[in-house]
Amino acid sequence: MNWLLPEGASLPFAGLEQPLRIEQGLGGGSQGQVFAVQLGGERLALKWYFPACIGRDPQLRERLQQSIRLGAPNRDFLWPLALLDPIPGSLGRFPAAAGGFGYLMGLRPDAFVGAHRHAGGDLAISLQCVLKACFHLAEAFHQLHLKGLCYKDVSLGNLFLDPSSGGILICDNDNVDVDGQSSGSVLGTPGFMAPEVLLGQAKPSARSDLFSLAVLLFRLLTRHDPFRGQRELAIRCLDEPARRRLYGDEALFIFDPNDPRNRPDPIEHSAALITWPIYPAGLQRLFEQSFGPGLRQSEQRTLTGQWKQAISLCLDQRQLCSHCGQETFPAADAPGACWSCGTPLPEPLRLRLPHGLVSAAAGNELQPHHFDPLVGEAIREPLARLVAHPSDPALLGLQNLSTSRWRGRTTSGQSIELDPGKTCNLSALQQIDSSAGAILVLRP
Amino acid sequence: MPFPNVRLSNRPLHFIYLCDCSGSMAAQGKMQALNQAIRQSLPGMAEVARENPEARVLVRAVRFADQAAWHLAEATPVQQLQWRDLEAGGITAMGDALNLVADALQSPPMEERALPPVLVLISDGQPTDDFDAGLANLMRRPWAQKAVRLAIAMGHDADLEVLQQFIGPEPSAHGKSPRRPLQASNATTLAQYIQWASTAVVGAASMPASRVTAADAGGPNSPANIPLPDLPPTLLDPSDDVGPLVW
Ligand SMILES: Nc1ncnc2c1ncn2[C@@H]1O[C@H](COP(=O)(O)OP(=O)(O)OP(=O)(O)O)[C@@H](O)[C@H]1O
Ligand SMILES: [Zn+2]
Repeated sequence: MNWLLPEGASLPFAGLEQPLRIEQGLGGGSQGQVFAVQLGGERLALKWYFPACIGRDPQLRERLQQSIRLGAPNRDFLWPLALLDPIPGSLGRFPAAAGGFGYLMGLRPDAFVGAHRHAGGDLAISLQCVLKACFHLAEAFHQLHLKGLCYKDVSLGNLFLDPSSGGILICDNDNVDVDGQSSGSVLGTPGFMAPEVLLGQAKPSARSDLFSLAVLLFRLLTRHDPFRGQRELAIRCLDEPARRRLYGDEALFIFDPNDPRNRPDPIEHSAALITWPIYPAGLQRLFEQSFGPGLRQSEQRTLTGQWKQAISLCLDQRQLCSHCGQETFPAADAPGACWSCGTPLPEPLRLRLPHGLVSAAAGNELQPHHFDPLVGEAIREPLARLVAHPSDPALLGLQNLSTSRWRGRTTSGQSIELDPGKTCNLSALQQIDSSAGAILVLRP
Repeated sequence: MPFPNVRLSNRPLHFIYLCDCSGSMAAQGKMQALNQAIRQSLPGMAEVARENPEARVLVRAVRFADQAAWHLAEATPVQQLQWRDLEAGGITAMGDALNLVADALQSPPMEERALPPVLVLISDGQPTDDFDAGLANLMRRPWAQKAVRLAIAMGHDADLEVLQQFIGPEPSAHGKSPRRPLQASNATTLAQYIQWASTAVVGAASMPASRVTAADAGGPNSPANIPLPDLPPTLLDPSDDVGPLVW
């Protein structure tokens, strides 16, 4: 790679009090290059634009300044932190960089890998972590849209996942704009673009973001594409015009409840047929909504708040198959069988909370919104977690993740105390009064 | 428990080099420069392939001199590819090379469903056989019509007109465009073009990238089969201005 900025150099920039050390180039794309840099001991990332890119997108600078002023919607965005301009003359030896400018953002930690790795089946990740990533994604766009902004280019390529936690990072935030203002030139990525944008009938907006978000969620949850079914099989050369038909003029959801003409092929599209049944009907319905009526009527698309609610319910219902150990997500009123091995799923032990019902499975968590309906769904700071006993995995316990001491009583009426960080055995537990509210054990 | 071991079904993307190995390529290190450029581009190409879950990138190469022959006959996954050096010597049977590729692009052996193939023609001279017949034969294949066809002119003696015919109609706008022959006047520029074709173009042909509204860049309403990515900013390299370094 021909780096625009010299690796190893310390360079002054307008607006920075100290010089910025260019550690190394990380990569380059169509718009510019990204470098790992150091500023006063802090490691950051610097994106530097090609002059040609700046020329094509005259509002880029203003958009970045606006984003910097408004601040990140939440910490899942690698948000622009500061705009950097060269000091006249300082980049004299690097003429290619001299005509450009750049911005600083957080440096993505190595644990985060491109979401395309997941879509390509090249990532070991649990279903719970995928669902958590989906929740974070819905939450991130919820916050972004609440700020009156839209992202415009939602795609697998702009999302990174930490497979061990389900954490996400959203990069390439330089197209973000005030919704409706839409000054930039980006339209989105085919396959993710809302039909009205793909077909040139509308500009990207928060409404079209909702469509792209639904596509991205579907691709994360199923490792398949919502529109690739029989209609894709009929396409010999998958090129631009073919994509425009598949995702635009002739788009039809592969699981459309009313129109079966684009169902997945059992061999070519097996991923969809295996993964779609994993999810509860409540979550499936949101996709049917966004890719059914929402395909042509943007006001019909599933809202970020609806996604958050359905995904957090799904996480609450997580139950491990007693036969094969797979993660399953049966609704309380529709138990059914394990999607993986077919074994009927017994009613699980559940925890009744003031505003929720959580199945007792190792890894499931009690969140603040289970106790207080006013806080809105959030999964970042659980109050308690179900954990297996370190030496006897069959023993399930509830771990206090709060900072205060909880008291409870067993089925035989004995009272217990649960200090922060401690775990109590569920099998004898009747109820715990946590700092947030009562936790009642419901036996099937 | 892990996410089920499934993935989005992918399609083959055939990437075919057509390399001029005529005697003139032996001069001034051109043959070595081309071998180096292709070899150096492979890790980047493999990386792009890995990032594109929708594509299975398969590489082949034709050499042409006194005759055309497959240099890399088997469509090889880029991750497994080891580039064997091409050697120069002979005349320029470019038309014959197009005939070979035409045979490869009919179904079978072409799969029933695929991504648009990418054909990269590299030459430093004039065809010495019936180029027109070869091109006409190639362009009768639907997969050739759908293919992204690029041409790289090495040095100043390449026949730009012939290369333009291979690519297709010349764009109306002036200036550098991937729909014109790319002129590599030194080894650095050559390497950049090869890298661009094997990464950015492969990316564009296999997985759609972000779209912008600029008319020429292939917005959603452009007639292009595959919107081509911007050319590499070779102008960045100041050595570009000092004239040929290697030849
Ligand atoms: N904050 C960051 N921390 C670490 N790596 C980053 C960061 N931002 C971008 N990168 C990496 O730098 C490279 C180029 O970045 P990016 O894709 O944003 O460039 P681009 O010009 O926008 O490309 P594209 O054409 O895909 O939009 C990529 O490999 C990306 O993963
Ligand atoms: Zn099972």
